[in-house]
Amino acid sequence: MEERSRIVLLAVAVRFAIAPFFMHAGDVGTIYESSIMALKGANIYDYVYVKTLQLQNTTGLPIFFEGYAYHPLLVYFFAPFYWLFTLIAGPSPVMIDGHYPSLPILIYPWTPLLLLMLKIPIILADAFVVYLLAGMDTGKAKIYAFCPYVVFISIVWGMFDALVAVFLLASYLASSRNNLLSGIFYGLSMLKLYTVVLLPLYLVRLLGRWRALLEFLGGFALTLVPLGYFLIVSPNSIWNVLVTFQGTRLMGGVNLYNFVWIVQDLPFDLQISMIPNILLLAALVFLIPTFGRKAPLLKAIVAVMFVYFLFGKVINEQFLVSIFPLILLCRECDHRLWVAPFIFIFLRSPFYYFALPILWTSPIFYSYYLQADFVWRQLQAAGYLMIPMYAVGVAFSLAIFWNLLRILESTRAAVTLLPGPAAVGSRSMTGGLTRLIRSELSLREPFHVRPAFSSESRQRNTPSQR
Amino acid sequence: MKLKSKLTAFFAVYIIALSFVPLVHDTLLSQARWVGYGTGAYEYQNQHYFVLFNDPYDGSSKPHIHVNPDFAPAARISLLEFSDWTSWVNDHNLFNEFNATVRANPQALDVTYTRPEIAIHKFVEVSSDSVKVTLTSDEEFRAHLEIWRWVMTSINGISTKDAPKPLAIEPTRLIEFMFEEERLQSLGRGTIALSALPVETKIWPHEKGFNKITIDFVNSEMSFTVSGSMEAAGTPSATWSYALLPYVLPVVAISVVALYLLVDKYGRTLKDRATGRSS
Repeated sequence: MEERSRIVLLAVAVRFAIAPFFMHAGDVGTIYESSIMALKGANIYDYVYVKTLQLQNTTGLPIFFEGYAYHPLLVYFFAPFYWLFTLIAGPSPVMIDGHYPSLPILIYPWTPLLLLMLKIPIILADAFVVYLLAGMDTGKAKIYAFCPYVVFISIVWGMFDALVAVFLLASYLASSRNNLLSGIFYGLSMLKLYTVVLLPLYLVRLLGRWRALLEFLGGFALTLVPLGYFLIVSPNSIWNVLVTFQGTRLMGGVNLYNFVWIVQDLPFDLQISMIPNILLLAALVFLIPTFGRKAPLLKAIVAVMFVYFLFGKVINEQFLVSIFPLILLCRECDHRLWVAPFIFIFLRSPFYYFALPILWTSPIFYSYYLQADFVWRQLQAAGYLMIPMYAVGVAFSLAIFWNLLRILESTRAAVTLLPGPAAVGSRSMTGGLTRLIRSELSLREPFHVRPAFSSESRQRNTPSQR
Repeated sequence: MKLKSKLTAFFAVYIIALSFVPLVHDTLLSQARWVGYGTGAYEYQNQHYFVLFNDPYDGSSKPHIHVNPDFAPAARISLLEFSDWTSWVNDHNLFNEFNATVRANPQALDVTYTRPEIAIHKFVEVSSDSVKVTLTSDEEFRAHLEIWRWVMTSINGISTKDAPKPLAIEPTRLIEFMFEEERLQSLGRGTIALSALPVETKIWPHEKGFNKITIDFVNSEMSFTVSGSMEAAGTPSATWSYALLPYVLPVVAISVVALYLLVDKYGRTLKDRATGRSS
């Protein structure tokens, strides 16, 4: 058996062995109840919107029910596997409630099977990423396949950023040979909406190549059809869930902004959460037309996503998975970035929380859970956990910043080594800050991007852009 | 100055500046008003009292009144906790059997409990010397309220030695209790002034003192004005409190940024030396 297949199979085997026994109750619960609603033909966004209105009426505060707030297509990756599950176990509820702060009631013996089935799309996404990486560099593929952070997020947590990762990687790889496909894959990467920051980058790079641009937009538009449908049938619901909720979320996560968690004043917190938004916009406006347009696509994507990680107001523990394959391919990036969000997981959520499917099998384990949770809540209430959480958040932001600078610097170094006629042309560009950035970073020449799937690239161990 | 240095300087200042936001908020903006946060909780902080009104998922701390001792202003010492879990109106549990909505205005937190046959308002008002919790309705209602503290060493002069079992005390409009705070090595005293005479007041012993007072009354309005104070007895040891976090985060930010700058500068130099390159 060739090594590539062996790595993929081993990665899948590890994931199948772990999947039935762990979960993040809130997130897996969301996928579970969304799958049920999708099979019944119910409107998921209406459900979330009604819950939000109830919550806001109860509390008098602009807070949102944290349910299904993703691209409409996402649930259709999971619903078929839930349907298969019901063929075996029947339609009776298996996971009852579980939205924060409630704990779920789990029904046995079906819970492990349900978890396995709902995680199959994530396992497949991981397998595809490993397969694609192994085609370029088996070492990188092994890192992704067995990285504790990736395994934890995908299989222990049950979060589906691996789907974003596989589509983003596929979009990047397809970009040099098929723009339609690249557009479709990019659109699918927006299953979680944060990759929207890459849209201007893709568009700016295709400016002037009108046919390619049209193909890309055509592919991208295909993935937006379900969004259009929901905008017609329930505009208020989908707007509230996808735009209002995502747009007015409180900042925080594995970043320098999680200090806001100790500022217990929601209106104030929402106002101050606009600061990173402004900086994100400013950074993208400057970075994309200058560096983003000229640098190799891989570096440009990673750089823009790093900017998002620095100034995006919500960076959850799992987000790094989405760009982890690209980080592995980027020579200038340090893939050990995963350590910070991995540590953060255990500071924010008690480790035993992920083991509910095991702990709920016995009243004795359940009593252990309550004892451990009592201690955990005391640590939390005293604020002891907030200090390391903030330190890790700041450290992660700085690590991202350092990697971003390396990408920008390496591009300058590469161009200095390879001056070309275009360098002269770029010097003639005018414009205050644009010129400053260009001159400081010496971005003088467009990089020549080789097709990712060319015969040459297939024979190499490293991706074509490196 | 190179662009990299400028960006690094900007980002370092940005991190450190933002780390002061909680401190600025706590000292300048959050004092003496109800602020909502999280999944629907509210809190109020003034010079003497910190009052938490818990989110709609939790029936405890409705409200939970803390006192800030003069000799340790950042410490929040639990004074009394009203529990909806264990309180009933007309034989219906306040947490499980009423719909509750919360609204904050500058004067009070207004919690409305509704059932088809009755609507009751719970107002929580905080002043510099007391916290007033008022239950009011358009019609008369029968209530059983439980007020908790772990633990009160004595209530109206009665200790657990005198009352090893739950004891109904003489109905009174003034309840005085004492408590000890081990961490601060201090003694505290609190009072609950009732606006009307209750039907029954019971005190409930626990291991080292009384842990709850139950009050039954029939009325269309009843208010409980709670006040508390603490005095140091002995030398309080330095204690940690959640309220100190705003002071700690800037220190954390400065430390992590300083570490980054050191590693960025000297780490690279050492690496360059190792590889034989000039920095």
